[in-house]
Amino acid sequence: MLATRSQSSAVALTLSLLAAIACTRRGGCRDEYCGTLVVTATGSITTLLPPLSDAAAERDIFDQIFLRLADLKAGASTIGDSGFVPQLARSWEWTDPLTLTFHLDPRARWQDGPPVTATDVQFTYESYVDTLVSSADMTTLSHIASVTALDSLTAVFKFKDRYPEAFFDATFHMRILPEHVLRNVPRAEWRTTPFGRSPIGNGPYRFLRMVPGQSVELVADSGFFLGRPHLRRLIWRFATDLPVAVTQVIAGDADAIEVLVSPPNIQRAEATPHLALYPYAGGTYTFMRFNLRANGNATRPHPLFADPDVRRALVLATDRASMVQSVYAGHAKVPPGPIAQMWTWLWDIPGLAPPPFDTTQASQLLTMRGWRDTNGDGIRDRAGVRLSFHVAVPTTSAGRKQYARLLQEQLRAVGAELVIDEMDNAALSEHEHAGTFDAALESWQTDPTPSSGVPQIWGSAGGSNYGHYANATFDRYVAAAAKAPDPSAARADWVAAFATLDRDAPGIMLYALDNVAAVDKRVTDVQVRPDSWLALVRNWRIPPDQLNERDRVGH
Amino acid sequence: MTAWLLRRLAAAFAIVLAVVSFAFIAIHLAPGTPFLPEEGRPINPAAVARLRAEFGLDRPLPEQYVRYLAALAHGDLGESFSQRRPVSQAIASAIPSTVRLAGAALVIDFLLGIALGVFQAARARRRSDAALTSATLFLYSLPVFWLGLVLLLVFGQWLHWLPVGGETDVVLYPYLSFFGRLFDRLKHLALPALTLGVIGAAGTARFQRAALLEVLGQDFIRTARAKGLTQSAVLVRHALRDALLPVIALLGLALPFLLTGAVLIETVFAWPGLGKLATDAIAARDYPLVLAATLLASVAVVLGSLVADVLTALADPRVRLTA
Amino acid sequence: MTVITWLGLLAAVIWTTTVVSWCRRAARGPHGEAWRRFFRHPTSTAGVAVLVFFATAAVFAPLLAPYSPSRQLDIVALQNHPPSWLFLLGTDVYSRDIWSRLLFGAQVSLGIGTLGMAVAVGLGGLVGAVAGYFRGWTDAVLMRLVDVGLSIPRIFIVLLAIVLWERLGTASLILLLGLTGWFATSRLVRGEVLSLRERPFTEAARAVGARSWRIITRHILPNALAPLIISAALGIGHMMLLEAGLSFLGVGVAPPAPSWGNMIAEGRDQITTAPWTSLFPGLAIALTVMALNAIGDALRDALDPQAEVTFPAGD
Repeated sequence: MLATRSQSSAVALTLSLLAAIACTRRGGCRDEYCGTLVVTATGSITTLLPPLSDAAAERDIFDQIFLRLADLKAGASTIGDSGFVPQLARSWEWTDPLTLTFHLDPRARWQDGPPVTATDVQFTYESYVDTLVSSADMTTLSHIASVTALDSLTAVFKFKDRYPEAFFDATFHMRILPEHVLRNVPRAEWRTTPFGRSPIGNGPYRFLRMVPGQSVELVADSGFFLGRPHLRRLIWRFATDLPVAVTQVIAGDADAIEVLVSPPNIQRAEATPHLALYPYAGGTYTFMRFNLRANGNATRPHPLFADPDVRRALVLATDRASMVQSVYAGHAKVPPGPIAQMWTWLWDIPGLAPPPFDTTQASQLLTMRGWRDTNGDGIRDRAGVRLSFHVAVPTTSAGRKQYARLLQEQLRAVGAELVIDEMDNAALSEHEHAGTFDAALESWQTDPTPSSGVPQIWGSAGGSNYGHYANATFDRYVAAAAKAPDPSAARADWVAAFATLDRDAPGIMLYALDNVAAVDKRVTDVQVRPDSWLALVRNWRIPPDQLNERDRVGH
Repeated sequence: MTAWLLRRLAAAFAIVLAVVSFAFIAIHLAPGTPFLPEEGRPINPAAVARLRAEFGLDRPLPEQYVRYLAALAHGDLGESFSQRRPVSQAIASAIPSTVRLAGAALVIDFLLGIALGVFQAARARRRSDAALTSATLFLYSLPVFWLGLVLLLVFGQWLHWLPVGGETDVVLYPYLSFFGRLFDRLKHLALPALTLGVIGAAGTARFQRAALLEVLGQDFIRTARAKGLTQSAVLVRHALRDALLPVIALLGLALPFLLTGAVLIETVFAWPGLGKLATDAIAARDYPLVLAATLLASVAVVLGSLVADVLTALADPRVRLTA
Repeated sequence: MTVITWLGLLAAVIWTTTVVSWCRRAARGPHGEAWRRFFRHPTSTAGVAVLVFFATAAVFAPLLAPYSPSRQLDIVALQNHPPSWLFLLGTDVYSRDIWSRLLFGAQVSLGIGTLGMAVAVGLGGLVGAVAGYFRGWTDAVLMRLVDVGLSIPRIFIVLLAIVLWERLGTASLILLLGLTGWFATSRLVRGEVLSLRERPFTEAARAVGARSWRIITRHILPNALAPLIISAALGIGHMMLLEAGLSFLGVGVAPPAPSWGNMIAEGRDQITTAPWTSLFPGLAIALTVMALNAIGDALRDALDPQAEVTFPAGD
């Protein structure tokens, strides 16, 4: 008897436990405006205050919280203003060649209530250019003389000079900040102010909560003046590195990922029935930069790389097409210069093509410059100096680590020795900045226009020109391109600039990625903008009949 | 006993100080600087220099060291460079996760390990013992992260039985009932805890088996056997208590593991514990966070060995406490 | 795989069985008491076989490997090729033959493990002997140092690796492994020496007027060999696992030199499309460490049947 009673109570207990486990709250959201998108990303969040942010993951998040004055259409030209759509500004005009007037949309409101006014715009500009804030976009705003608020809905930008991308500079980089909240915080304290971890914005989504190092959750602002977002919640989930993030998406623990990067990941995603793939033009390019000055001593030329023929020979010796095929299986292209795929108008232009692969010519060039293998060790030398150099590779990039090993073998075939130094990002930055490197494998994220990044990375006065490449002709073409009156004139200048750079070979241009995003199939109306893949996420939707448990939960 | 305890605590303090000092020197010697943007973005040297000055990194190293120790004496662990909040908060949020993972792993480790060890010793030199010896040997020799990767692949991706990372479901957790949350946590905990626990259990089993066999070979056991007691009675009543002693000491040594976390496993399973925190902090050159993690870890190790000694002494009055 | 390399593999297997049977024959001989105790363990034969095989493979790698370990055969067509007759263990993502890399990797992994262990055991033995022999202040100071060393958490080791990396390379890896592994050995040796110094032969040596240094090196250390040898056998395995872990975190042996640890790290991204890339080096490490642990256990029985049960060396 006792046994039966304890048996049946055990059964009852188990059943109720199971029922409790199985039951999440019933009901929940079931209509057009439900939907939870879990985005998996690598990296971490330090701050969500736009002028202080340095990370792509942060930008994806605050793009939903803060608006620009006007937004760039996908694939549109950055010259003039025809490629832009109104956001916070309903309309604008050039009142004179140096003055740009924006009329703000009166419906725009901050998420804590007050309307967005021109005072916010003025405050934002002053913050972005304040040295205490040291925004990364300071240099791009250097053409602007001042921003003033004429009245509560009119903001006036005065420029120092007139140039074609003035509108782009005025709108693209700045996200308008709430003056009424931030005016009481001294700019020196912006790095640590709680606002950076709990921002109040004016965009389609509002910040809900953040678990540092793990997740950020945004919730849709149902009163958003440009239309209520269909997806109710956006949740970013942070993984330690790419393989972990991809595994999460494939297993269904997350719904979307920005870039799958490698062919194995793409294959896995293709084989996963619930994922749809969205290829789009990538905004990064990767190259091996040569240091033209001596390793550790910028006053003297580099014993190997000061000679342009040696550099050209090394470029010719590398089979970049095969490497791209091996590492990215067609999901990247060899760029005809330091050019990302996002700049579609610079590709497939006769006169601008990647240097060929020709080991014979490479060997001839090297021999002609006096590099011969005199001691039979397989590596060329000249006057006692071996054709051997170190390349700095970041440990965080699987693609570049692969390339380093491939390059090592290919260069060995022409008698050059490449020694691989893998190091973490902090060490790599230090070496690049101090000039204590021979070569480095670098990858840069670009803006929709080359004019903000290229002078910095390759221009003789550029702050990121770690290899000290200097060619006055190149600089002239770049300056001309920034001032070109229309897109075709600009293109001609850029083509000439990059052709010059290709001839000088300050680096080996290796690949420009095709980005492939993966999003769960239940999400429809997916539009991906190349410069910021989630820019249009407020238009994505999940039809009511496709809602899954994560979408329905809550209210 | 008290005098011994005080001496040990004093020694412990000195040891922790030494370890933190070494770590201080090491992190400042490491190439690179904190406050850098993400890779592939331009660096603003003026901004970095200003931040370094703001946090006192441009002062001479001895001065920084003294300031750090002074702050530490006041209980101030400093502010994290990468998380922009007090280090104590950053660590406090990671500790529970680490404790949960390490706690579960230790439970599996010791329960399974002791049971296996006793089973093996009871059937010493027979076929089952030999087979288990080979099995535990194999498991003990596996690289932990490799096993984790394989299990993740099999159970997380191919079979979809268990989630592939994190501690709780990012979306559903706040909406689950109490038992739902418990179940969710268990699902996420299963793979990493099993990986660590099973490999640990292999080691513990080997150890327990050896300890028990040694005790079983001693005189007082033969006396008990001669008195006519059965094998299991002998085992449980006489041998086990002595044989459990070394394993209890092992527990004390394993306690530090509770706080140091398993760096490799946390990486593979994206577990938000102290190991991952420390590795990320090193990569970001987040000096205060690295030092705090080192401090915590060395305190745990030192206290752990202290606890092991105390436990052993309490359990066996024959053991004299040596300084 | 060419005919010659197949024959080489066969020769290596035959050589291994020969060596193992030599050892067992020694066990049957009149002076083979220790050997008999050694082989009484169920796993010791297999352990010896595995170790001899990998050691042979390491030494004769240039003869046994069909390809150079860094040779990329065809980065497009032969990438991630599964195991076949041509490529015994398949190819990796750079179209390098995994079997060849495994053989040369044995050189590196076993070499680093042995050298690291040599540093650890050498340093640990010396420190332990000095502390145990001289006692008093020397002992107290040295053992406090050992306590500090044992208290150093794993992350600190990683940190140290990053710091030293730039300056020294592979040498720093060996140094790191050795410097972080000597603490447990020193404790062991100290315990042994503490008892040895009370033995008659030590008193005799002192009575004759021998200097302390001589006593330590000539009389004490040779008798403390047992724990040293056991430490060594177990230590190599521990070092190999540590090296694999460091490679996984990005501070391992520099490419293109293969080590079993960096082969697993390199294969991690291909684990779904080409699992053999990490599977075989992982198995190789597991088998070797297993063999070393088995041998260590058996040695403990063979050399020192009264040995105290000692704590396993950390995690």
